Amino acid sequence: MDIFLTYLKVFAVGGLVCLIGQILINKTQMSSARILVLYMLVGVVLEVTGAFEYMKQFAGSGVTIPIMGFGSNLAKGALEGVKEKGFMGAISGGMSAVAAGLTTAITCGFIFGLISRSRSKKI
Amino acid sequence: MIDRIEYQDYVTKTQPKSPMVRTLFAAFIVGGLICCIGEAIGDIIKVIFKEMSDKDVATWESCVMIFLGSFFTALGLYDKLGHYAGGGSIIPITGFANSVVSPAMEYNREGVFFGICAKMFVIAGPIIVFGVVASFLVGFIGYFVV
Amino acid sequence: MRTFEIKTPVYIKSGFTIVGPKEGDGNFGDCFDLVLKDDLWCEKSYEKCESKMHRDAITGAIKKAGMEKEDIDIMLGGDLLNELSSTSLAARNFPTAFFGLYNACSTYSEAIIVGSMLISGGYARHITCSTSSHYSSAERQYRFPLELGNQRPPTAQWTVTGSGCTVLSCEKPSAINSRVYDDDIIAIDDGINMDDKELEKYKKSIEKQKKVINKDKSNILEENFHKQNNDYGVPSSHCVRITGGTIGRVIDLGIDDEANMGAAMAPAACDTILTHFKESGRSPDYYDGIFTGDLGRYGKETLEYLLSKEGVTLPKYYMDTGASYFLPEQKTFQGGSGAGCVNTVFNAYILKRLQRGEIKRALIVPTGALLNKDTPLQKETIPGIAHAFTVESEPLN
Repeated sequence: MDIFLTYLKVFAVGGLVCLIGQILINKTQMSSARILVLYMLVGVVLEVTGAFEYMKQFAGSGVTIPIMGFGSNLAKGALEGVKEKGFMGAISGGMSAVAAGLTTAITCGFIFGLISRSRSKKI
Repeated sequence: MIDRIEYQDYVTKTQPKSPMVRTLFAAFIVGGLICCIGEAIGDIIKVIFKEMSDKDVATWESCVMIFLGSFFTALGLYDKLGHYAGGGSIIPITGFANSVVSPAMEYNREGVFFGICAKMFVIAGPIIVFGVVASFLVGFIGYFVV
Repeated sequence: MRTFEIKTPVYIKSGFTIVGPKEGDGNFGDCFDLVLKDDLWCEKSYEKCESKMHRDAITGAIKKAGMEKEDIDIMLGGDLLNELSSTSLAARNFPTAFFGLYNACSTYSEAIIVGSMLISGGYARHITCSTSSHYSSAERQYRFPLELGNQRPPTAQWTVTGSGCTVLSCEKPSAINSRVYDDDIIAIDDGINMDDKELEKYKKSIEKQKKVINKDKSNILEENFHKQNNDYGVPSSHCVRITGGTIGRVIDLGIDDEANMGAAMAPAACDTILTHFKESGRSPDYYDGIFTGDLGRYGKETLEYLLSKEGVTLPKYYMDTGASYFLPEQKTFQGGSGAGCVNTVFNAYILKRLQRGEIKRALIVPTGALLNKDTPLQKETIPGIAHAFTVESEPLN
């Protein structure tokens, strides 16, 4: 039962985050790149203000899987870097926190770009 | 002929709008499901590697999700999902992976060098640039505040 | 004065169309000469495919007119890609003088107007007017990668995958040749300057290309030619003459949404139609067929609204080729657009109805939105343009 409740929370919060994005898309005709940047910056702000930690406690992947998690990781990494290494950490902390994700994305992009080609849409 | 401003008003008022109910419903369901898949992957990793720290689990979770997003893009399924779900498949990290892989696939006809590698960040570029700059600013301000 | 009349008669000798699979499933699916099953047509990229479609449309039209490519004096053509790449690459296969034209989606009427003026002025005898567009190549040039999972806005139009060519001539055709053989079109080179190995490879690739042709829909194939109720089943009793036209102005009413090109083009179409009626002294009832280019469903409504404000009501048979191109369940939202849109409909549908004498006088107003990928980013608004030309059918002999 406990696990069911966790997943329900993840589903509801994750769905809600995407729903707000869809409202923005419908109302402003934003392109996907703008939506992603906006959400990532929201993640950065939430992390800095400390709100993201509470949301993560509550909904887990419901907030970390949306691109807000990426922004929060960046901000968190930078702040932790400052604590550990001083000013050098401010420069290197953010990127090292998301290095794994970025490397996966770029490597996947390269490999799938090599072996697969775009097909025309059949809607 | 009609006045400029009058015409622009007319177009803003009468142009077709996205159907709210259907798109919002699709975005909610698909977005929620993708987050649940992420949570499930995290849980599975936790079961297999019991001694792994929570932070590493979260990192692995997003890496696997990025891989899945790329994989379904390469199969040509993610754009169909995106057409149906809109924000529901753009905002999760899989949508980020899609925005990296799709230009790479699109431009592989122009070669590896100036095709795949150069065009890979056509859409994801702003996200990475904004992210890096924002994290530096946060660290910079944090350094002086702390 | 922007309206002109062609005094020395200019005739349309033939028209030929090649379209992609989605277009073959649309409203005009039965009328096209060649319908492909796959929009790559054995090529490595969509641009190459577009170029090949363009080349074969020109070849097909020339063959249908009963001529050889050496008989053509000037080729006029254009498409939507950067620096007219697909037209230029297609034109290198012909030993003919070539002009590249660009007016976005109204390139076709530009070519027809320029072509008929050249013939009428006595500078050329036979001219081909061709345009092409391809959904996938246009999408990656103007919008996003194909595999990107974004939603198309509800005002979006679908770039037509297709190419068409019309042969204009100063001679009145004695009979309308309604059919060519697929061998004539696809096998464009006769294997000259090839050794045996290359020839073998070439023949294999021809066989492969033929497999991509949709056998049920393509009108050039033998089995469809004899079918009843087919468009070719009714004999052509008329030939078609270009009688005049109105050259459009660039009109910009400040629409800056590149996803809503119907709204950007409608004022230009309105201006051209009003000017045409005013300067020629005709009324909409003079024509029994009025066709606009690719305004789409919303653009068509907007045009009707704009014209009604000026006191002009278009008759019921007014049709927008873009809005009627696809069936609603094909989910193209506003319908077709692109340089190939009005061209394929004219050559496949309107021209045949004219040749059968079902339409006597028609006004065709293709429209174009003049933008590239960077102008909206530089906060420019989108200007529109529309050129009109008029055609009349007259009995053969």
